[in-house]
Amino acid sequence: MNDVMGIVYTSKDDLTLRELTSQRAVAAIPVAGRYRIIDFTLSSLVNSNIHNVGIIAQKNYHSLMDHLGSGKDWDLHTRNNGLFILPPFLTRENGGEYSGVLDALKANFDYLRRSRQEFVILTNSDYVMNTSFEPMIQQHIKSGADITLMYKKATPEITEFTSSSKNDHCYLGIGEGGIVNDIEINPNAASYDNLYLNVMMIKRTMLMYMVDQVISHGSHDFYADMLRPYIKSGALKIMAYEEKGYYRRIETIRGYFNFNMDLLKPGVRKELFGANPVYTKTRDSVPTIYRGNAKIKNSLIADGCVIDGEVENCVLFRGVTVGKGAKLKNCVIMQDGYIEEDVELENVIFDKAVTIRSHSRLVGPGQYPIVIGKNITL
Amino acid sequence: MKNKKCIAMLLAGGQGSRLGLLTKVMAKPAVPFGGKYRIIDFPLSNCTNSNIDTVGVLTQYRPLELNSYIGSGQTWDLDLSYGGVYVLPPYATADSSEWYNGTANAIYQNFGFIEQFDPEYVLVLSGDHIYKMDYNRMLSSHIERNADVTIAVRPVPWEVAPSFGIMNVDENDAIIEFEEKPKQPKSNLASMGVYIFTWKVMKEYLTADAADPKSQNDFGKNIIPNLLNDKKALYAYAFTDYWKDVGTIASLWEANMDLLKTPPEFDLTDPRWKIYSRTPVMPPHFIADDAVVENSMVTEGCEIDGIVRDSVLFAGVTVEKGAVVEDSVIMPGTTIQAGAIVRRAIVSEDCVIAKRCEVGESAGDIALIGQDTVLPEGYVVKAGLQVDNDAISRKEGA
Repeated sequence: MNDVMGIVYTSKDDLTLRELTSQRAVAAIPVAGRYRIIDFTLSSLVNSNIHNVGIIAQKNYHSLMDHLGSGKDWDLHTRNNGLFILPPFLTRENGGEYSGVLDALKANFDYLRRSRQEFVILTNSDYVMNTSFEPMIQQHIKSGADITLMYKKATPEITEFTSSSKNDHCYLGIGEGGIVNDIEINPNAASYDNLYLNVMMIKRTMLMYMVDQVISHGSHDFYADMLRPYIKSGALKIMAYEEKGYYRRIETIRGYFNFNMDLLKPGVRKELFGANPVYTKTRDSVPTIYRGNAKIKNSLIADGCVIDGEVENCVLFRGVTVGKGAKLKNCVIMQDGYIEEDVELENVIFDKAVTIRSHSRLVGPGQYPIVIGKNITL
Repeated sequence: MKNKKCIAMLLAGGQGSRLGLLTKVMAKPAVPFGGKYRIIDFPLSNCTNSNIDTVGVLTQYRPLELNSYIGSGQTWDLDLSYGGVYVLPPYATADSSEWYNGTANAIYQNFGFIEQFDPEYVLVLSGDHIYKMDYNRMLSSHIERNADVTIAVRPVPWEVAPSFGIMNVDENDAIIEFEEKPKQPKSNLASMGVYIFTWKVMKEYLTADAADPKSQNDFGKNIIPNLLNDKKALYAYAFTDYWKDVGTIASLWEANMDLLKTPPEFDLTDPRWKIYSRTPVMPPHFIADDAVVENSMVTEGCEIDGIVRDSVLFAGVTVEKGAVVEDSVIMPGTTIQAGAIVRRAIVSEDCVIAKRCEVGESAGDIALIGQDTVLPEGYVVKAGLQVDNDAISRKEGA
């Protein structure tokens, strides 16, 4: 077991994800047929031998709690360590809502103090990546760094952000020997192509000290008030670690849609599911049944579906029904979607348990899929 | 500690030799069924759904696969602090060490286990049938009739009755006669191998049976006849829903095919009676551009590029482009390579059916490929044959 604990910060409300986050945290958004975004973060931690994980929950955390349960699906239900869900709570100093990562960390000093691991990996949970943190942990310890920041070379697919959602997009300036010497926060035109992945490794006690210092000086921004000054001062050894695997931050409806479509590529599936398993809450669904009229092309389909129609370039989650004569193209249909006979759907995202009555037709523009919210009957 | 009203003892020690190569490396209850289950998931899920939370699983033959599959019992919510699932292999004592010798003997050797829970009733189950049954209803009937033993029975077609243990009952369902595989059956009520004993009666009769050196220590051959001789209260409990003995290759294949009918002869989708199984932790399955998938069951981790018709595919099966799978059962982790044809066959776990192989035929008996078999390119397996790596090397050596 590594001497490392994990802290997962489930992001603020992300309005650019509209219906998908109206009732759930970004980390709890369903992806890839049977997962939630946070499954990738948690599985990466567990597969890196990290068995003490705190989840900082924000508003709308019901769906997250429901999903995580005791943590047993990630083997995080052990006697010491395990899974700790850390929702905001009311105290004399605290208003029942975290105003950011710093605030959340400060509020959970008790948990941090009680944990026994020497190091912390602090990560967001608004991205999909299945990696091992082992090499970063090794590099951090070997290099004697105070802080290690994980980054990835920015490519157009990765940085496909909308202008309204520039929350905490940081780019790192990296000097000789991998030392981080600059950080740009939400730049319009970044000077560097080293995208910070919001994953850092640091000594637990040092993190607590830094958080305390920044907050006691009246500052609250993790990036501008904490990371930047330390990087600029050069007082600490802050190293960069390059991640090379598949990474997509889910921030917009289009990004969400494109990520799901990406899974239809064999190479992407291999990167995400080939090496390390991704754990999720089990639902005990039966296998999917294809009836005599089913015609399926290039689609990713979870268990528990009953399909008698035509499905092309789609991701179907668990328990979706596709009636006879129905035609689905370029769709993402979440759990328990019910598509009756002779329905035609194209470029559509259905949130959970959407029903569409027979003979209906719903076609979205190719660049901008239509989203239908949870539990709606059309 | 509070006593348990009813605990279950699941007889899972049999070899299941009629399943041929399928049970060469694992006990029959561990044999995969229905895309993501194993046979033992059915009695265990029935227990959980019937609120019977204490189950002893008696193992003997090839227990490794079964032991690791059962694990802590968490899959079936049977990981409790008091009760839950226990694997009970034969053990040695200071003055003897014995294998389980007969069904009754297996339970007799575990009286110590049963007594820990001080139950009023003991449910005896076997691990070779596919069915969904509420044992609680059977228990209510047992209690209502103040029975010593209640035996679950189901009507079978008269022509196959001679291959079962047949119960002859009176108008109140009291059992008046039991005939093991009668040539001329007087009734078509076959024993399902599901018994509820009042614990005191079980203890008395199994103890007496153990002391009888002439006994074969078998419920059907010895215990039931002895109880009948003594005019004990034995009742039949009729069960008429789907029930299938999957003790042979043909019946195992048929039971899998029953899942594909519309409406299915056996429905696994009832949310109030879920069948639980250990999940393989795999992504959803993928169906590629040139694939054809009709009237089939497909589960997590499969990648399908070829043609699949009227078949049941387990987790992690790959069907390459140009391969054909028809009327077949393909167990976890197996790859069917390009151009291979599989018809009316059961292919076990982690096999490779190489290019241009032909397994089975469109008519005739079911062909069977044993676990971990790597079939060389162009290899032909005729209908009704069984092949594994040993058979291939023997053939090559010859």
